Amino acid sequence: MTVDQGGRRLIRFDNVHKTYKTGTDALRGVSFKVEDGEFLFIIGKSGSGKSTIIKLITREEKPTQGFVFVDRFPISNMQRSLIPVLRRHIGMIFQDFRLIESKNVFENIAFAGELVGMPRKKLIQTVDIVLSVVGLRNKAAAMPQELSGGEQQRVAIARAMVNDPKLILADEPTGNLDPQTSESIMALLEEINRNGTTVVICTHDSNLVDRMKKRVIEIEAGCIIRDDMDSGYTVCAVAPHIEGGKS
Amino acid sequence: MSIRAFFNSIREGFQGMLRHPLVTLASISTILLMLLIMSMFIIFSADARHIMKNVGQQPPIEVYMKLNGSEEERAAITKYLSEDKEQVLFFEAATPEQNYNQFKTNLGSSSSILDDFDYNTYLPYTYRVQLVKPSFAGDVVMHLEAFPGVNKVMQEQQVMIFLTKAMNWVNVGTASAFAVLFLISLFIISNMVRISVYSRATEISIMKYIGATNAYIRLPFVVEGAMVGLISAVCAWGITYLAYSKIFSMLMSKVDPGSFYSILPMHSLSTLVLLVCAFSGVLIGAFGSGVSVRKYIQV
Repeated sequence: MTVDQGGRRLIRFDNVHKTYKTGTDALRGVSFKVEDGEFLFIIGKSGSGKSTIIKLITREEKPTQGFVFVDRFPISNMQRSLIPVLRRHIGMIFQDFRLIESKNVFENIAFAGELVGMPRKKLIQTVDIVLSVVGLRNKAAAMPQELSGGEQQRVAIARAMVNDPKLILADEPTGNLDPQTSESIMALLEEINRNGTTVVICTHDSNLVDRMKKRVIEIEAGCIIRDDMDSGYTVCAVAPHIEGGKS
Repeated sequence: MSIRAFFNSIREGFQGMLRHPLVTLASISTILLMLLIMSMFIIFSADARHIMKNVGQQPPIEVYMKLNGSEEERAAITKYLSEDKEQVLFFEAATPEQNYNQFKTNLGSSSSILDDFDYNTYLPYTYRVQLVKPSFAGDVVMHLEAFPGVNKVMQEQQVMIFLTKAMNWVNVGTASAFAVLFLISLFIISNMVRISVYSRATEISIMKYIGATNAYIRLPFVVEGAMVGLISAVCAWGITYLAYSKIFSMLMSKVDPGSFYSILPMHSLSTLVLLVCAFSGVLIGAFGSGVSVRKYIQV
């Protein structure tokens, strides 16, 4: 396995192309870098290529051309057996929460720790801590269907945090939530980021992106058309430039 | 994979069977049918072997010497039978006098009619030969008939030929039936696994995203298949036990258990049938699930 020697760089896309078997060109020469501890929004219309970027980061897909490195894992030519190891470094959050309905809150969160063989005692302590962080310590025994959407997303965030990942990858985390709950979820993700975890969010929520003033990468038709620091959903104060940002 | 994660997978496997009971039932029924047929062949095969062994233990070959045979001719046969240990299990020679006495014993109360019988004139020397395997009969008979001084060689070869052929048919039948039913079982188990995978699709996708290995995701399905196989095996054994016990009591009610055509009682076949069924059932279930789940789950 080759290893990227890129220092604190957590994600690197080098001229990445992705063409699906159907012939759809999802990404066309995408290059960007994400440093350890960054907070990044990836925005764009439906079908622009945002989900493909997430699939490449989690090695659900392989690039057709170009190189992707995530936490020094070379996604392009990575052994299949290393995929679970890569994913244990990534906490995933989804729009539809994806909680296991037959397990209670504690079990849903502990499940992620069990997978990596965390000792029972440490697992109980860790779940307790992450439940405190997301403010659901009193809901440990509740079943997912007894929780509100916001609470379910907090459980999903707690699950993403339990293995202390280097990267949290969120795909439309506020898509199913009301504005007030969305604010609290984003505040929580910001708090997690302040503690050193890199957060990458794909979203359509223009209000949140505008308000948070973080790095924004905008994708259109498989190309990066904007990569700005401290930016918003639409180009405003900062002048746009292509394929740049923090590279 | 940690020990706790391993036991969690086992528990998930058990829960999987209850998650879709009708599909589980269909899988159990198919494997059960396969194992029932296999049990039937196992029992038939064991009985055929038992009968062949009994027949082999009778003196299947009797050699009648010519009445005017010489001492040297008898010595040559004795030498051949003594030296051919690979084919000849046991042999004994009988003089005309011994044959006469045996004849009289067989006649029981009517034996007095033989009192004036000149056995030295009318009865030959004979040999009774037991073979290691009934299938050696043809070769041994051919050798014996070639000796000078041999008048006639009597044998139970027809019974043995039939049983040897029957055994071959049974073996071919067992293998063919097993292969066909194995494929059917794989198809049914594949469907069971597919439904099981769909019913746990969300869970599986979550497991993939949080870094579960293929082995961790697949193990519950393999356990589920193995449990289905084991349950089928126990059911097949139970049905075979009851059915064969009934058949045995019907067939053997008026037959001497010591006779060469008696069949084996169920209690002496029970462990064999259970072990073969359990091994085959678990193997088919686990293998079928393992192969199918590879198709549906890829990290």
